[in-house]
Amino acid sequence: MKKLYLFNLFFLFLATASFAQSQQDYSTNAVLAQRVKSLVQKYPQLVKSKSLTQTLGGRDIWMLTIGAGKTEDKPAIAVVGGVEGKHLLGVEMAIGFAEKLLASSGVDSIKNLLNTHTYYVFPNMSPDATEQYFARVKAERSGNENKTDDDRDGKLNEDGAEDLDGNGKITWMRILDPTGKYKLNTDDPRSLLIADATKGEAGKYILLPEGLDNDKDGDFNEDGEGGIHFNKNSSFNFKAFASGAGEYAVSEKENRALFDFLFDAFNVYAVVTFGPVNNLSNPVTFNASGIAKRIITSWYESDAKANALVSERYNKITKTKDAPKMQAENGDFSQWGYFHYGRLSFSTPGWWVPKVNPDSTRKEKKFVNEDAVASYLRWAASQGITNTYTPWKAISHPDFPGQTVEVGGLDPFVLTNPPYKMVEGIVGKHTDFLVALAGMAPKLDLVNIKTEKVADGLTRVTLKVMNIGDLPTYTRVGDRSYFLKKILVKVNLNANQTVVSGRKTQTIESIQGKENKELTWLIKGNGKVTIDAGSLTTGNKSIEVTL
Amino acid sequence: MNIKHTILLAVLFFYAGIVNAQKPENVLAAVGTPPNPKVQVSWNRYNDYAAITDICKKLAAAHPNLVKLEAMGKSFQGKDLWVMTISDTKVGNTDKKPAMYIDGNIHSNEIQGSEFALYTAWYLVEMYASGNKAIQSLLAEKTFYIAPTINPDARDHFLHQANTPNSPRTGLIPIDNDRDGITNEDGFDDLDGDGHIVMMRRKNVNGRYKVDPTDNRRMIMVGGEEKGEYELLGSEGIDNDGDGFVNEDGEGAYDPNRDWGWNWQPNYIQSGAYKYPFSIPENRAIVDFVMKHPNIAAAQSYHNNGGMILRGPGALEDLDTYNAQDVSVYDALGKKGEEMLPGYRYLVVYKDLYSVFGGELDWFYGGRGIYTFSNELWTGYSMYNKANGEDSQSQLYTFDKDLLMKDAFIDWHPFKHPTYGEIEIGGFKKTYTRLHPGFLLESDAHRNMAFSVYHAYNTPKLSVGEIEVISIGGGLTQVTAIVNNERMIPTHSSQDVKNNIETPDLISLTGGMVVAGMMVNNRDLGLTTEQKGDPANIKVNNIAGNGFVTVRWLVKGGTKFTVNVSSKKGGIATKSN
Repeated sequence: MKKLYLFNLFFLFLATASFAQSQQDYSTNAVLAQRVKSLVQKYPQLVKSKSLTQTLGGRDIWMLTIGAGKTEDKPAIAVVGGVEGKHLLGVEMAIGFAEKLLASSGVDSIKNLLNTHTYYVFPNMSPDATEQYFARVKAERSGNENKTDDDRDGKLNEDGAEDLDGNGKITWMRILDPTGKYKLNTDDPRSLLIADATKGEAGKYILLPEGLDNDKDGDFNEDGEGGIHFNKNSSFNFKAFASGAGEYAVSEKENRALFDFLFDAFNVYAVVTFGPVNNLSNPVTFNASGIAKRIITSWYESDAKANALVSERYNKITKTKDAPKMQAENGDFSQWGYFHYGRLSFSTPGWWVPKVNPDSTRKEKKFVNEDAVASYLRWAASQGITNTYTPWKAISHPDFPGQTVEVGGLDPFVLTNPPYKMVEGIVGKHTDFLVALAGMAPKLDLVNIKTEKVADGLTRVTLKVMNIGDLPTYTRVGDRSYFLKKILVKVNLNANQTVVSGRKTQTIESIQGKENKELTWLIKGNGKVTIDAGSLTTGNKSIEVTL
Repeated sequence: MNIKHTILLAVLFFYAGIVNAQKPENVLAAVGTPPNPKVQVSWNRYNDYAAITDICKKLAAAHPNLVKLEAMGKSFQGKDLWVMTISDTKVGNTDKKPAMYIDGNIHSNEIQGSEFALYTAWYLVEMYASGNKAIQSLLAEKTFYIAPTINPDARDHFLHQANTPNSPRTGLIPIDNDRDGITNEDGFDDLDGDGHIVMMRRKNVNGRYKVDPTDNRRMIMVGGEEKGEYELLGSEGIDNDGDGFVNEDGEGAYDPNRDWGWNWQPNYIQSGAYKYPFSIPENRAIVDFVMKHPNIAAAQSYHNNGGMILRGPGALEDLDTYNAQDVSVYDALGKKGEEMLPGYRYLVVYKDLYSVFGGELDWFYGGRGIYTFSNELWTGYSMYNKANGEDSQSQLYTFDKDLLMKDAFIDWHPFKHPTYGEIEIGGFKKTYTRLHPGFLLESDAHRNMAFSVYHAYNTPKLSVGEIEVISIGGGLTQVTAIVNNERMIPTHSSQDVKNNIETPDLISLTGGMVVAGMMVNNRDLGLTTEQKGDPANIKVNNIAGNGFVTVRWLVKGGTKFTVNVSSKKGGIATKSN
């Protein structure tokens, strides 16, 4: 027993030491667990960790609660990574944020922040999928370990990918075929594009992910390992029967565990997702027709304004630019955060392939075609990254007897996950952003307090309930949801005092940033009266008036 | 055995003698009713969870070959959610027979669904035991999964606590309805402690109500030029939390029938929705059960009231989900239901009732392709067997007077209310207006049971018809087989086919080496579609109701062939030439 303990201690020392200085690659689940553990050990007053649930693959869904004292009573931001299993950067950004924030918890401003504000950090919502990055054969994967019948033929996981060229990566295969829809990209013939028949172009290649048609149904790799995608399984805009979506919305343990926690966390006013959607570089735009139907598809105008305000701050702090437009998937988490959870929901992938100008010394020309692969290859060359592309090489493929089949192309993961050495900088900027966002939180104050004597023993009390923060006390979309609390205002009286006009207890609906609402009472009696106002997303304020 | 026990036993036997006063030899069986049931149940009253559990256990104990009792899961408060699997276990594999799922009481105040479901279970097994051929053959072919109450926590609340006919509709997970940070702090209050929540009225010269001159229990609104004498103050209660609202945050409230995973919407769009699809533990247990029983081809979920046989879509936005082919099956079943259930109308939820998201019948059909009805039990038609008076208030009073001996009404009586002062309390009991009076309960339970039997009977019944074997030369034999569906419901609803919900039916040939397999589209003209892979097992997307498919194989060797059919919702069939 003791030996084991010592061994663990040794291991922990090793782990802590290595994470602190010299992590070389994205985090396996084991590494992530260690990073979580070391934070709790290093900052026991400020961090609690918990495994929300275990996936079907037996992996923990970690949650960190960061803040001092009664964290559940303070306004909070939920930070969520790993919503897309291919996006390892999201995991790194979430756990990296926690580490960076706590590393500066000795600084006054951060110390004060953690006394009045809470962060809930969920570093990896897709641990079954992200582990594929570290597998013997590297392959992009989004699904958890739920065994699904993606092609609905009655068999489970019977047609996955194969590493045909044995390079340890699942890339692509192209088949010379007169019915193929793809042609070589003239900008960069290493990449293929769909031939545009309306311009009289003819295709030359069939392009498929590397693998065999194991179940001989004519489709390749359509039912392999990897069940349900966290980011397709949320209830907003859920698409039933789509591959990876789940039999119904929120069917998976990962989604349920997170949603169960969040719905009971009434103090959360904003969700920040590190995932595919980006409404931080470019905020959502209000669309009146999108809120005209029962099922709304646009942010409300006041919420869109809050998004614009936050986006401006994001761009200023992170100095990121040229973000590509991303279409949110059906059942996507960050959209759920706004439309179904009713919170301000922000999302960013954190990194995308930067635009680079043609380098004349390499005889590069301006691209004619839009092609993410070609853009990546040009950027990679400018950075001296050379090991992320496999040249096309002919193989013999049993499903295409007598045809020319070549395997090669761009490596998995590289379009959305930058080289690891860039991660620290990305984490730093996004930590600054998350701290700034907390500074914009809704915050309650009672101002312009006035007492007027109306008659002997009868006093009129007037005050303004003010939101001195930048963000609304809760969203417009959350106005009618009982999962968001209103501000409760209470006049506390003694036995000789009565409220003659006005409500002794009342709730107040949302107040926008820097806006206020006036309340007034006629109170009979003498002496002191206290008035309390507060909600979990705004904090509390109490004042005393003398009648 | 000690002497006390002996005496106790003697007393028990004595009473047993009294209870069994109507011995089999002394009675003449009324047609259509089990003459001498092993389990005696009174079908003119309502049962709490303990009583339901008791009936289920007795049925399982008395009919071990017909009833298997199990829990689908637990309720929020930890009660077992019982489901009875009812089938003739000596014939075939219970979980492979085409099945019907029946539940009741999803809304906690709509309690008679449980009695109707229990009656169905009881009737099936007792009629089987009494030798009824129709039920015996039904239970040989089909399976029933019957869950009497899927909301047992709040059912017991309705039965044992003071309530109105409408409360609680929800389950008992606490909800902060007024969003002040406190849950369930301002519900009804049984002011006079009589066990009923009824109405409060107060004399007021400015009130807009007066006593009905034809029945002094009833309050009616005065006309435009008339002066009233009373105001109505709502259901019994006080402002417990002092926020200026009365009874605004009681038990629950969410709606378990807005929780299902088909086009689910959150509570700001669909009031009553909880956190996400199947976030209510009772419903999650059911969905897990249904997913494990792909043989369920038909379903019924009992509600009250209004005499309706409801089908989806529940929401206007889902109109396209239901296509003409499936609607024609629904229509045939529903119209038969209208004949069997006097006063009931066959209706579509979104247009005839209201447009709602997340209902149970929508998930069963939309998510699983199961033909599902929700019957709204009890109609005012049954009061005088007359149409047009169903919804009238006055009929409630006359019926209570004429046939219920005024048992349904708590007479107005004075009470001193802490806020309102001198008031009067009175009104209909929770057991009236939405629930059957005792003497009509068994009769309507029987009719609804018969409708479910009809529904279940019409789930697919597959059989292999003609098997034609022809030698076509070159050592090849052509085997052509016809597979029939002898009932109204197809093996796959068109919703199912459209979305590949359930795997295809498999028609397999053994007895030779199959070299090719094909669907025969037109046998006379020789039009076929070949299935290139796995030709011995032909996949068929659907076998239509009262329809058939023709399949063909080319085989090397063999003369004796067997055709096996296997369908998730249609069961299995086999035949040799």
